[in-house]
Amino acid sequence: MKVKLFGNLRQKAGESEFVAPGATIREALESLCADNEPLRTAIFAGAELQPHVRVMVNGRDCELANGLATAVSPQDTIAIFPPIAGG
Amino acid sequence: MQGWAGNILDINLTSGQIETVPLDRDMARLFLGGRGLGARLLWDLVGPEVEPLSPENVLIFTTGPITASASQTSNRFNVSTKSPLTGTILHANSGGWWGMQFKRTGYDALIVRGKAASPVMIEITPAGVAIKDAAHLWGKGVFETTVALEQNRNKRNVLCIGPAGENRVRIAAIMNDKERSLARGGAGAVMGSKNLKAIVVEGLEKNKPADPDQFKFMLYETGKLLKASPLTSQALPEFGTAVVMNVVNEIGALPTRNFQQSQFEGADKISGEEITDTILVKNQACWACPITCTRITQTKSGKEGEGPEFESAWAFGAQCGIDDLDAITEANYQCNDLGLDTISMGNTIGCAMELAERGLLANDLGFGRADRLPGLIHDTAFRQGIGDDLAEGSYRLASKHGAPELSMSVKKLELPAYDPRGMQGQGLVFATGNRGACHETGNMLGPEVLALPRLIDRFATQGKAGIVSVHQNSAAVIDSLVYCKFANMAVAEEFFARTLTAVTGEHFTADDLMMVGERVWTLERLYNLREGFSKEDDTLPARLLHEPVPAGPSEGFTVKLAPMLEEYYAFRGWDKNGVPKPEKLKELSLEFVMEVVHD
Repeated sequence: MKVKLFGNLRQKAGESEFVAPGATIREALESLCADNEPLRTAIFAGAELQPHVRVMVNGRDCELANGLATAVSPQDTIAIFPPIAGG
Repeated sequence: MQGWAGNILDINLTSGQIETVPLDRDMARLFLGGRGLGARLLWDLVGPEVEPLSPENVLIFTTGPITASASQTSNRFNVSTKSPLTGTILHANSGGWWGMQFKRTGYDALIVRGKAASPVMIEITPAGVAIKDAAHLWGKGVFETTVALEQNRNKRNVLCIGPAGENRVRIAAIMNDKERSLARGGAGAVMGSKNLKAIVVEGLEKNKPADPDQFKFMLYETGKLLKASPLTSQALPEFGTAVVMNVVNEIGALPTRNFQQSQFEGADKISGEEITDTILVKNQACWACPITCTRITQTKSGKEGEGPEFESAWAFGAQCGIDDLDAITEANYQCNDLGLDTISMGNTIGCAMELAERGLLANDLGFGRADRLPGLIHDTAFRQGIGDDLAEGSYRLASKHGAPELSMSVKKLELPAYDPRGMQGQGLVFATGNRGACHETGNMLGPEVLALPRLIDRFATQGKAGIVSVHQNSAAVIDSLVYCKFANMAVAEEFFARTLTAVTGEHFTADDLMMVGERVWTLERLYNLREGFSKEDDTLPARLLHEPVPAGPSEGFTVKLAPMLEEYYAFRGWDKNGVPKPEKLKELSLEFVMEVVHD
């Protein structure tokens, strides 16, 4: 599925969009972070997300679904935001 | 001074009288300063019989007890008046250096009354206070005026209006330190109606804390928190406020083409990320601020200036169907120089675009016409051609052309960059805003999108009233202290209370501060009720209440306002008509309004 990165995650990943495999958000993110330790560190704190990192599936925050265990399909779009603020 | 200087400068431009009156300390303790003090003074000075652009309206510039103390972000200040755009109470606040410098002149507030016979400026320096001729400045832009009056960042600071304010454009801003703004609601037009071009300040006094050791400790602790938070130490410095463009778009809450859609295909091209990658020159900080969120930018044509912030990038971007970042940025610079509120300007242009595309406005304007921005903005400031209509704001523009429902405004203040059909709580914020549709007075971006402090379901309606109320109260007290709301992303009200205690020598708790916030909010509400506003005005544009979002993550949603409003009135201790009950007025020490509200 499509994975979109925002903020400083783009510099860490080298791109702003990827196609990643996985049946859950966790699997997709693990795939994304394989061989990219700076990106992994920016997204994960151990097995969980870093504070203030938000992950959305089709525009809905995964926290309101099943968190990182939320099931995803190839038609879905995952968006990952680092800590951001503004308004 | 320790917190409060104890003085209010009162200037009558009609008579030329200049006097200093003492600050009522009981009033100061109840309302602190900034927005709170401004509201309290305005209650006494400007009643329902006063037309906003008449000499009887006043401008009240207020600082807070922590202003110029060197506490982090203690640079901000407030202006209060009756709005010529909405007719409601108006408060607006700004950063930079002017507020700090004004405090250093030894005053907590400046009241400007009447109208000068010809253009004047006010100068407040160690030599005294003077009203001086400003005919040679009238007609000049903000940038030229600021230079002419010898702006010198830490020593001499200029606040002024541009041609928009001079021409009483209802969406005119007051600008300070060249590109900071008291933007919303048309305070610039009030200043122009008084023939007041500028206020220049130079001060020598210091806001020394009553308890220097405790103050130093709080400075250190607050600094640690700001540095530890990724929001204030990374996100805002690195990408500025426009970094939220993509997340608001991703969830389907970015108003597009006058709120006809809620996602913009060009969002990434006008985002904080794009600004950083392409046009950013450097960051800049306001006085005593470690966050450094201001963007200094330069476009391909070589023009340089501040911004655009998120709201400005949205207003000339998604709202107008424009994804040309250079065009948006130069529109922002132009508004700063002419002295215009970018949110209202861009929103109103978007409204005009839809009117034109629907054949209701005879003009070849349409969404995406970036080439039209410079001319429209210029003509608005100078009230020329269609600009004379735009100068009246979107509601009067749309009404004139037979479609008031196409104005995306509340109480005639244009909505900012959030489609509340994708954020129900934000809809309640906009509908109940005392100065109209305003995100600054209780932004639900935190809880509904960024999980600050916790994530709540943005589509839920039950329970939103309490969270909105707390946010509104918190924003009101921050605006009264006067701190920057970005500091609140890392620093809780408890810290503000302890710093305030250290500065003033008077004991305040976080609960005290939240009480101040509720008091200020409620007084503003009462002011509007006295003006004739009612629960019928606590509403949203028909599009947001009745037209479902056509596509995207918020597809199918409208704002379910009625149940949220009912819950809100009850939570606030107001009756079913949205009038604060007598017991609530007593609780908030607002008995002085009782006769007016409950006769």
